Amino acid sequence: MQTAYRTTSIGKRILDSLPFAITAVLIAVAVVNLAGGWMGSLPPDLSRMMDLVSGFSAVFMGIFIEAAPYLLLGTLASGLVETFVSRDDLTRWIPRNAVGGALVGGVLGLFFPVCECGVVPFVRRMVSKGLPMPAAVALLLAAPVVNPIVIASTLAAFGPGLVVWGRLGFSLLVAVLMGSLFGLAGPNQVLSSVSLPAEMPGPILTSIDAMPAQKPPLKERFKGMLVIAADEFFEMGRFLILGALLAAAMQTVVPQASLLALGQGPLLSVFVMMLLAILLSICSTVDAFIALAFTGAFSTGSILAFLVYGPMVDIKSTLMFLRVFKPRMVIYLVVLPFLMTALIGFLVNIL
Amino acid sequence: MSTRTYRTFQALIFGALGIFLLARILEGKILLYINQRFVFLVLAGALGFMLIAQVLLASRPGVEAHDHEHDHDHNHDHDHDHGKRSGAGLWLVALPLLIGLLVPARPLSTAAVDVRGMNADAPLSVRNGEGSAVLDIPSTQWSVLDWIRAFNYSEDLSAFEGKEVDVTGFVYHDIRLMEQQFMVGRFSLTCCVADATALGMVVNWPEASNLADNGWVRVRGVVRAAQLEGKWVPHVDAETVEIVPEPEQPYLFP
Repeated sequence: MQTAYRTTSIGKRILDSLPFAITAVLIAVAVVNLAGGWMGSLPPDLSRMMDLVSGFSAVFMGIFIEAAPYLLLGTLASGLVETFVSRDDLTRWIPRNAVGGALVGGVLGLFFPVCECGVVPFVRRMVSKGLPMPAAVALLLAAPVVNPIVIASTLAAFGPGLVVWGRLGFSLLVAVLMGSLFGLAGPNQVLSSVSLPAEMPGPILTSIDAMPAQKPPLKERFKGMLVIAADEFFEMGRFLILGALLAAAMQTVVPQASLLALGQGPLLSVFVMMLLAILLSICSTVDAFIALAFTGAFSTGSILAFLVYGPMVDIKSTLMFLRVFKPRMVIYLVVLPFLMTALIGFLVNIL
Repeated sequence: MSTRTYRTFQALIFGALGIFLLARILEGKILLYINQRFVFLVLAGALGFMLIAQVLLASRPGVEAHDHEHDHDHNHDHDHDHGKRSGAGLWLVALPLLIGLLVPARPLSTAAVDVRGMNADAPLSVRNGEGSAVLDIPSTQWSVLDWIRAFNYSEDLSAFEGKEVDVTGFVYHDIRLMEQQFMVGRFSLTCCVADATALGMVVNWPEASNLADNGWVRVRGVVRAAQLEGKWVPHVDAETVEIVPEPEQPYLFP
């Protein structure tokens, strides 16, 4: 409880001071660019800096524009669940024991095609609807890969073979293992205070089921769903945007060549590709095409690791996790799959 | 912040995002950010944003009804708020709008090549075999991307030897090159600018050192296979190198 509060307040302090500074910088950039337009050219140093700034802006906007529709889709799915699925429906379908629940959670993504931006609000909503923790964690980690869109795009990139089936199988394996592990802890130990599904009237999780018996007309429920989606877009969008800012900054300053030059060995290459997955923060619906560009220079195990770990964890999804889970649990969610995936990649390389 | 004010700002930001994206799509500038095959997705997103803006505006609680909100807003605005409805939160979601409007959309420059590196032989984001699709059209219509793809997926590079080249791209002086060489490069976007990969062909041109980095040129000549750091990549023996304005669409989409 304590840690959760502390994080919120640190995050809040940062949020409070940043807006003015950043808005000022942006206006300064706009003015310098206008001045450059008037004078015809800028001094070389300034012009080079403007190049970096516009490159940063392009990468950030690229990630945001690409991810925003997917996040919207995820929040709509979440609104849909909130409005049209009842607590009983869920508890009836999900097995009670941890491993069974995790297995069902792992394949639920097949029916809800959400990628890694949309899956976080979706899973939190499912938890508030009574989805058991093992199923929820497995869904969170597996859904960005085990879903029809991503399977199709991976097939398109690599064709049927080790990479496609390995990606699906290993993602499921890691997700189910993680789900079963999280089943050992209670929701109170796992979820951050704002995401607890308990009886307390949390800001976002007050369920429609708690309302009087008669349900409002369909049109009203539909509108209610859109309002929920909007609220969640604002809540999760903040973390998507922070993540995109970080990823764009890293891409502007960290030379990829030096990262790629780091490692070629069976283990080091796996680490390099996983770091690249975190750094790039690209959507799981397209990362297969990106991975293809590295097949010449990198081992199969490292490509697989990129495709398994990238959708589970990257900069933007980690920030979104922080909203839903306690900080310690986020560390588990980031580190344990990292180790499992690295081991898998290493084994694929040496076998 | 009262629910009504918060909803108004939310609606404004959603509406503005929708209009911003729609305007970028209409003027074609959206392709400075993402691959063309995602434009429909963004269009759907833009329309969705505008629809939600509409619903948010309509479902605001009345001014006087502030104390007993019986709107269809299930988010009761109590103490458990944890700053969720802060102005800073609104600002952060509006940030892409601010950046999109204040920092002009410009294509990546060679400053980005310095960070990302220049590829002369990357296996591109296509399935093996798809590279042969362009072999049917005359080689003077191939782009930098087509050439690199063709070299990457062909067993027999001698088939390309002596073929005519006519490509446009930016100038990049790679440190791996000799004095009388430069790279003619393009960025290729698979998904969005975040995955932009710089691709380049080595050009042999006596006056290479007179060309400024980042300027756009049209290179005509003949191709031959030569080695760069031990890999076989297309080299162009240039006959003419002509300075041209930056093309409307600087990126290539595989």
